[in-house]
Parts: sequence; structure tokens; C-alpha cells
Amino acid sequence: MSYTTFNQNSFDTLKQPMFFGETVNVARYDIQKHKIFENLIEKQLSFFWRPEEVDLANDRKDFNDLLDHEKHIFLSNLKYQTLLDSVQGRSPNVAFLPIVSLPELETWIETWSFSETIHSRSYTHIMRNVVPNPAEVFDDITRNDFITRRAVSVTKYYDELIEKCSFYTQLGEGTHTINGKIVDINLYDLKRTLYLTMVSVNVLEAIRFYVSFACSFAFAERAKMEGNAKIIKLIARDEALHLTGTQHILQIMAAGKDDPVMGEIAASCKEEVREIFLEAANQEKEWAGYLFKDGSMLGLNQTILAQYVEYITDQRIVALGLPPIFETKNNPLPWINSWLNSDNVQVAPQEAEISSYLVGALDSAVDTNDFGDFDL
Amino acid sequence: MTAHKQTNLKPRMNDQQEEFFLDGHNPAGTHEPLDFALETQFAEQDHGEAPVQENLLFDREYSENPSNSPQIDLDGMSKPIHQVTVKQYETTQNLAFQHANNLLESLEAQDVAVQYQCREGYCGSCRVQLLEGEVHYIDEPMAWVNSDEVLPCCCIPKTAIRIKLP
Repeated sequence: MSYTTFNQNSFDTLKQPMFFGETVNVARYDIQKHKIFENLIEKQLSFFWRPEEVDLANDRKDFNDLLDHEKHIFLSNLKYQTLLDSVQGRSPNVAFLPIVSLPELETWIETWSFSETIHSRSYTHIMRNVVPNPAEVFDDITRNDFITRRAVSVTKYYDELIEKCSFYTQLGEGTHTINGKIVDINLYDLKRTLYLTMVSVNVLEAIRFYVSFACSFAFAERAKMEGNAKIIKLIARDEALHLTGTQHILQIMAAGKDDPVMGEIAASCKEEVREIFLEAANQEKEWAGYLFKDGSMLGLNQTILAQYVEYITDQRIVALGLPPIFETKNNPLPWINSWLNSDNVQVAPQEAEISSYLVGALDSAVDTNDFGDFDL
Repeated sequence: MTAHKQTNLKPRMNDQQEEFFLDGHNPAGTHEPLDFALETQFAEQDHGEAPVQENLLFDREYSENPSNSPQIDLDGMSKPIHQVTVKQYETTQNLAFQHANNLLESLEAQDVAVQYQCREGYCGSCRVQLLEGEVHYIDEPMAWVNSDEVLPCCCIPKTAIRIKLP
């Protein structure tokens, strides 16, 4: 099999599996094997937002007033999120597009990845607004040990899949000697790598992001860095949808109706899946330790954040039909729900900056004097 | 409605109907100011004790804020109340669903803490296990829902139900 940008074969799209079937030719959506992906595309498009729409003028002042260890928490989280979205902005395209076989899924992957690029742009928007020299922060991402260490686990499955697929598309199945190295390429192994990659993407979007989310919202609970929290809310909304996307892909694979081999693989990989979840949870707990190394912040400390990681890990793994790892009982950060809900505050759009009302340049400076002539 | 109010209005409207020009220009040459009697001489009467039921003023707009959406009662209407049995850990609570926008709001109004995020069916955070009974989806959920689960944020019970919270 070699990749072609327009497959000339005529075949029945509905009989193709999600991945490793015929490469997509006509981007048509009149007939769909899995309608859910079109629903996801439509939802994602309706979520469209631009970072510049959120006013961060107050955040600069807030940031300057933060204590040093709080600045460390804030910047470290942004660095980590920047890393995650850098990966997500390109990897689904690079890894999945060459092997996808359904037009609606192909378009979902592109739409999904595109929305991650908006997230990346929003980090630059935040940095420009809160720190005098954003370059210092961005340059540290590749130098900071705590960040790069986790980058390995985030990207290793993607990289493995991309490498194996490139051999597969060039050379096909079989044992090949590449640069003096013997590589065994077979479709079963490729599908297995694909399944595990999808699990690690699910973990990335479902667990890894949430430590940063929790910190951003904890700042906002104290009425600090609220512009940032608004952006994070929009990001969280997108990530919740992406999470649903990968859950659907994984569940369709596991059901085996789409591709019976995938069903077998999913059944045989349960232990590895658990390991991926556990590794991510442990890394995130470690990260919480790094965040709070110089001191905690009001409402959040290492212990609570670690409990939250365990809780969210259980939620996500149960959603995939596997038993929980930590047996957590309840959410240690119940206030986070209302922050994660992007439109919980129902006010007239002209009265407040709400994330569902997408217009830029809002005046966010309100003084008590502004209510001087206001009587009830 | 008082009778004299109507007699005052009607002839006037009929007389001037033909002289009505949208741009205000009147080619017939009459320069009488047009009086459409938009405001009557009679002030609107305050109905005072009129039977406006507070609970009829329920506004869907505010439904996402649980505290603003208590379960509503409509006088004189039959109530499609369904029993909702909630199992959480070792405890079992007997609750009722009546006239709420969805099961999630109903549960919240009765002090049951359910996880949520999107509240519109795409994130799946609120999944609960349906042990018994049937629900109706107001909106088809987009999140993955296993065969024994329901998303309270976008469904209402069709029968008495028994659910298990995670």
C-alpha cells in the first residue's frame, strides 16, 4: 500500500474500516459509516473562537501582583499546555491522516487538530499580555527537565506509529532491513500501535490538561487572572469534545464491528491501557509536586491536586469500559465543574464578558464608583 | 376592555387610513398632524391582585443555573411525576422528577451532586448508570454512552427510574 492523495479505486466507503482500509478519495458526507464524526465536526465548528476576543488587560496587573511561587505555578502550567497543544496541533494530522479510510473521520481529525492550533495561538496571546518577554517563557519549554520528561510519554506512541506507518506505506508488510536495522512490519502490529496511540491521545486530552485547568480556575476563584481563565474555559470546552471524539474512536474499535481485528486488539491490550493511564496519572501527580515546590496557592495544594488527578483518571478509564484504578469516591474539587462549564453564567451579553458572546474589546475595568448612582 | 375606549379609537383610524404615508410626505396637501392614537387617554389599569402564578414565569433562559430552576408546579395540570431512586455508594434516596428541564437539574434541585461539565450532552461527565426504567432524550447525546448508562443533562424519565451514581 502506498499513500495517494486521491485514491482512483472505486470502492464502497461504507465497507471500509476507520483506519487501514482504502485511502479516502472523495470527501463526501452524503453517506456516512459513523455519523458521530460529522456531529463532532459541526459542534467543533460552532465552538469557533479567537484568542484576541478575550481581553487580558487586567491579567497583566494581576500577574505582577502574584507572589513569586504563584508566578511559577502560572507560567509552568502555561508552558506545559503549550507543549501539549504543540503536539496536538500537528500529530493527529501527521499520524492519522495517512491511514484513515473514512471521509467523515478524516475531516474530524483535521477539524480537531485545527482547533488545537487556536489553543497554541491563545498561549502566545496570554504570554504577550502578561509577561514583558514571552520568548524567555517559550524558550524554557525545551530546556525545562520537568516538561521534557513528560513530553516523551506524550509523543512516544505518536512517533512510533508515524515511523511504522511510513515503512508500511513505502515497503508494505514483511521483514525489512532499514539502515542496517531489521524491522518487522505487519498490519496487526500497526493496528495495535494505533490503538495504543489513540489511548495515549485520550489520556493527553482527558487527564494531562486538567491539572493546568484546575490551577487556572483556582486563580480565577480568587478573582485573579480571570482573562486567562476565560481562555482556559474555551480550551476546556474544545478538549471535552476532543475527548468525546477519542472515546468514540476507541469504543468503535473495541466493539470490533468496524474492524474485527481491532476488537481483538482492544480486548488483548487492557493491561497496557491501564499502564498508560497509570503512568500519566503518576506523572501528573509528580508535576503537581513541581508546581507547588515553593509553596501552595489558596484553595489548591499538592495533595488535593493529586486526589483530583486520581479522580479524573478513574472517570476517564471507566468511560472506556475498564475498571477504575484508584477507586476514588468523589470529586475533591467540586467547584471546578462550574468553571469547566463554559456557559454557566447566564447574563445579558452586553453586561458581561461571557465566553459564548464572541466580540472583542470589552471594558473589563469596573470600579465601585461606577455603581454610585445605582439604586435598588 | 372598556367600551368607550373602542369607540374613541375606531372612527379615527378609519378616517385617516388613506392618508397614511410612511415617509411623512402628504401629497394631498393636508398638513394636519397625524394622530394614530398610539397612546390612549386611559392609563392602563393595574390588575392588582391578578392571579399571575409566580411559578409560571419560569424562564428557560436561566435554566442552566440550578438555583434558578426549582422544579415547577403548574396548578391544575396533571403532573408527570416519576419516581427517581438514586443509589450512591451505600445509600439509596427516593426522589421525584417533576417538570424539570432535564434529569440533571431535577437531581440538583433535590441536592444530589452529580458531576457535570458541558450540560448539553457532548462531554459525558454526568453519565449515570440506569438500573431500571426508561428515559427520553430531549437532545440526542453526542458523548459516548454505554448501553446501561444515561446522560442526565439531556434526558427526562419516561417511567419511574432507578439510577446509580458513580
